[in-house]
Formats: sequence, C-alpha cells, structure tokens
Amino acid sequence: MNSTQVLNAIGSCLARAMERGLGKNGLVFPVACQETEDDDCRNSCRNLEQIFAQMNETYRFAEALANGELKANVSRSNIFAMPLKALQASLRYLTWQTNQVADGDLSQHVDFLGEFSLSFNRMIESLREKDSLEQRLKTITDVLGEGVYLVDPEGHLIFANPEAERLLGYGFQEMAGELVLHAIYKQYADGTFFTPEGTQLVTAVQIGQSYDNDDCVFACKSGRLMPVSLACRPVITGGRLEGTVIAFHDITEQKRHQRSLQTINALLEKQASTDALTGIYNRLKFSKLLALEISRARRYHSSMAIIMFDIDKFKDINDTYGHQAGDSVLIDMARVINANIRATDIFARWGGEEFMVIATGCTLEQGMQLAEILRIRVAEKIFSVPRAVTASFGVSAFRAGDNEISLTNRADHALYQAKENGRNRVEAEDAAS
Amino acid sequence: MKKVYDFKWEDLGNLEEGRPNLGGETSVVVYRLMQFTFKDVFSKELGKEKTCELFVKAGLLAGREFCRNVLNCALPFDEFIADLKAKLIVLKIGVLQVEQANMEELNFMLTVSEDLDCSGLPIFGEAVCDYDEGFIAGILKEYTGKDFTAREIDCWATGDRTCRFEVKPVEK
Ligand SMILES: [Zn+2]
Repeated sequence: MNSTQVLNAIGSCLARAMERGLGKNGLVFPVACQETEDDDCRNSCRNLEQIFAQMNETYRFAEALANGELKANVSRSNIFAMPLKALQASLRYLTWQTNQVADGDLSQHVDFLGEFSLSFNRMIESLREKDSLEQRLKTITDVLGEGVYLVDPEGHLIFANPEAERLLGYGFQEMAGELVLHAIYKQYADGTFFTPEGTQLVTAVQIGQSYDNDDCVFACKSGRLMPVSLACRPVITGGRLEGTVIAFHDITEQKRHQRSLQTINALLEKQASTDALTGIYNRLKFSKLLALEISRARRYHSSMAIIMFDIDKFKDINDTYGHQAGDSVLIDMARVINANIRATDIFARWGGEEFMVIATGCTLEQGMQLAEILRIRVAEKIFSVPRAVTASFGVSAFRAGDNEISLTNRADHALYQAKENGRNRVEAEDAAS
Repeated sequence: MKKVYDFKWEDLGNLEEGRPNLGGETSVVVYRLMQFTFKDVFSKELGKEKTCELFVKAGLLAGREFCRNVLNCALPFDEFIADLKAKLIVLKIGVLQVEQANMEELNFMLTVSEDLDCSGLPIFGEAVCDYDEGFIAGILKEYTGKDFTAREIDCWATGDRTCRFEVKPVEK
C-alpha cells in the first residue's frame, strides 16, 4: 500500500466511526503495517496503530468509570487516559470521604474539585451545624433532670438521655432500635402484667398525640417498678409524624409523701372523732353517726335504740381516790362496754362520766335487754378502785318523726328516772312522752 | 569540623528575619533542581539503589520532624488527617487524599496530587517519589509510634495523574 491508499483507508475507517460510534470492537486499524510501501510509512502506521489501541483502551476505561467501577485498570503508557486516572483517583477518594461522613467524621474538607468541593464542604458545614444543635439539645436534656426518650412512630427507640439511662438502668446502646415501651411499660403498680398494645400511651405514640400521666409505672432493668409522671409529645416535621418525645421522672418520693400525708389525715380524722382518754368515739363523732343512723332508720323503717348511761356517784370516786383513779374507771368502763356490744353497735363517750350506745336494728325491748346485760357486766366487773362501781341506764327507741334531740332527750329522761329510782338500774323511755 | 550533622528544626532558620523581602516561599523549580541534581550526583557516587534508599531515609526524618513541629499528634485519626491535608495544601506540598484506611490493620492507600516532587514530569516509566515515601512513613511513625513502609505504586512519572502510596506497617 502506498501512502495515499493508507490515508484513504484510515479516513474511511474514521468516517465510519464518527458516523456510528466505536461499536463493540472499537476502532480497528485498517492497515496491515508490514504491507506498506516503505519504512517511513510503516513506522507512522505502527504509531497510529498504537494510538488507535490507546483510544480503544481509554474508551473502555471511561466506560468502566462511568459505570462506577473505580478499580478499573488502564495501561501506564496510555496518554489519553491520564486525566481519567486523575478523575478515578478523585472518585476513589470521594468514596472514602463519603464513608467517613457516614461514620460521623465531620472534620474532612474536599479541595480543588471545583463545584463539587463547594457542595461537599457545604454539606459538611450543615451537618456540623446539625451536630452542634444536637449536642446542644443533648446538653439540655442532660441537665433537665427528666428522663427523655425519643421513639419513632412504631415505638423504636431513637434517643435516650443519660437521665433516662440512670432512672431505668437500660443503656441507650442496648435499647437502640428496640420497642422500648414494651420493655418498660407492661406492669401495674401491684406488679400484674398487661399488654402495652392498645394502652393510651402506646396509642398516643402510634398516632402522634400528646399524652400525660401522673400515675404510671415503668419497669426498671432491675425489675423494680418505678412510679413515674410522664409527658408524651409528638414530633411533627413538614406535616409528617417523625416520632414522639417521652419525658418522665421518678415520683417515688412524691408517692411516699402522699402516702404519709394520707396517714396523717387519717390520724387527724381519728383524733377529731375519738375520745382521747378512752379511745372510743367522742360526742362530735357520735352526733354525726346518730344523725346517719336516724336517717337510715327513717328511710328503711328499721328499728334502732339508744342507751344512755352514766357511772353512779362518779364524783365520789374522783373525790375519794383522785382524778387518776377516776380516769382509770372511765377507761375500764369503756372496755367492759366495748366487750359486750355487737360490732354493729356504736359506742361513744357523751361527756364526763356519761356514755351512749346506739343499738342498731334494736327495738325498745331489745335495747332494754342489751342495757340490762351491760348493767350486769359493769356491776360484776372489778374496777381499779376498792369499791363496787355501777351505772344507771336510760333507753329510748326511734319513733317516726324523731330527730337526734328528741330521741336523746327521751333517753336522758329515762336515765334520770333510773337515778331517781335508786341507781344501778335500767329504765325505758316514757311511752307517753 | 564535626564528623556528622544532626538535623534540628531550628536549623531551618528565622525566615522572617532572614528574608524580609523575599519571604518564606520559593519556586518548585528550585526545589526540584536541588532534588534531581542531588539524585544525579549521589547515584553516580553511590549507585541508584543506594541513592533511593538515602532519599527515603531523608524523607522519613523530614516526615517525623514535620509531624513533631507542624502537626498535632494528640488529634484523633480523622481530625489528624484533616489537619495534615490542610497543612500540606498551605505549605504547597501536595493535595493529599485517602482512598482507603484500615485502622485495625493500619494499612492505607493514599494519593498525593500536584505532588511537589513529580507532578508534571515526563514519563520515566518508574516512580520517582522516594523522598515522599519516606515523608509519609515518617509522619505515620510519629503519629502511631509504629514503623511503616510507604511504597509509591503510581506516579506522574509512570503515567498517572496522582501519586499513589500503599502504606503498611513494617512486618516484624
Ligand atoms: Zn510521584
């Protein structure tokens, strides 16, 4: 082949390539070098053949890079592939760099990659800002003194602050991604189990609703049940439920306080209704109970009797043996009576040496019988003073139209009669009065 | 005259005082002129292999001193690398990029683009950045306390557009 033929062959080969692309086989050098006319032509053809080969190789290399094959190889002497090798190095580096960011390394910078550097560095900057915002939030939740959980709408734990870890004993790492409420919210205060599914708290998390509860129990990792007060708030961004913040604190102390307050109240209530010396009801409480019993008798047309009694010659006992002896007689009297009435009867100190019994459900006759038993028991009892102690009893029974005063007055009158008639006796109310 | 010379960082002198007008920078041509003329003379005196070995040694010393005096070894690895990258740019040594870093086995694949020693050279067919090999190993030795070898597997002088160094701990 002479030079013109060689040029023509190459020309038509290139024209085809420019029209149809390189195709599967790439550029195929159209001349057999050894068949050319002289040495110069042969050498030029060999160089051109090499250039063709390098272009084919470059094409394949570029294709591989375009497909993301960052480990693709190209021969060192390939002069066309050199900028692509620089691109390959940059892409490999960016792969590492991106993984670093994914692993939380925000200290890196990308340089000299034009617009890409700017974008990447901006991304790092904004991630850093987010990071510092997160740090700030973390600091806030750290010093808050409240346990804070962040869960996704399914209830998987996304974040826990140190106080939450401290309170419940679960480290964040061991609970991350878990259904945390299913672990801590499954028992009532008395220890019985329930299913968290369907509870107000779990539902609030699922549908993104606010929820507060001051009387909740969380199970610690240790198994301890901790009374907590909690507040649940949905985190909604762009109209989408991102998750829920659950803030809670230990209210064990508060509960203890509440309980002791209840005890004190009960004690005060007891003090207000009890006679300090004998421990039985005082007059105030008796009046309330009497009113209650009267209204009950009125409503149900049931019977009730009241027995009013007082210790005979109590002033004498006091004068002779002293007030302390008198007090101990009063105490013993209360004991004797208490031991001989029914559990449903109501017994109170009316004042001084006077006592009252409400014999619930009793007619006048039954009231008289009870009074008589009480009279005998008192007379038989050996008191701490060296003399016989007796009591006189007056009995009245509820009649339609009675109130506390009328009923009490009739018993009082009967008692007076018993005293008049010689003491240590039982007298019934005057049927006519 | 002393038989040997021990390099000290202070020997680099006070450039502010010494070069009030010309400043602390010079041209890459001058730097390369010195490197390659050294290489020429040394290789003729000592053979090429020995010369390369000495260049690596000198680079190692330079890397250690550079690390000690310019870098902060107290930083965690990520930040240390970020700092190193920034300093290499500021001092116009090259653009360091990490392609792989295995912190457990301590092997790395690093590239340096626009390398001070070789970028823009004609294709010699062999890597020429012996000094850089030592420099990188020296920095890592100073940072980790372990011995490293850095081998330049791609270089501008071998037809690449970036120098690529495979860095491994020295096997004991
Ligand atoms: Zn190089």
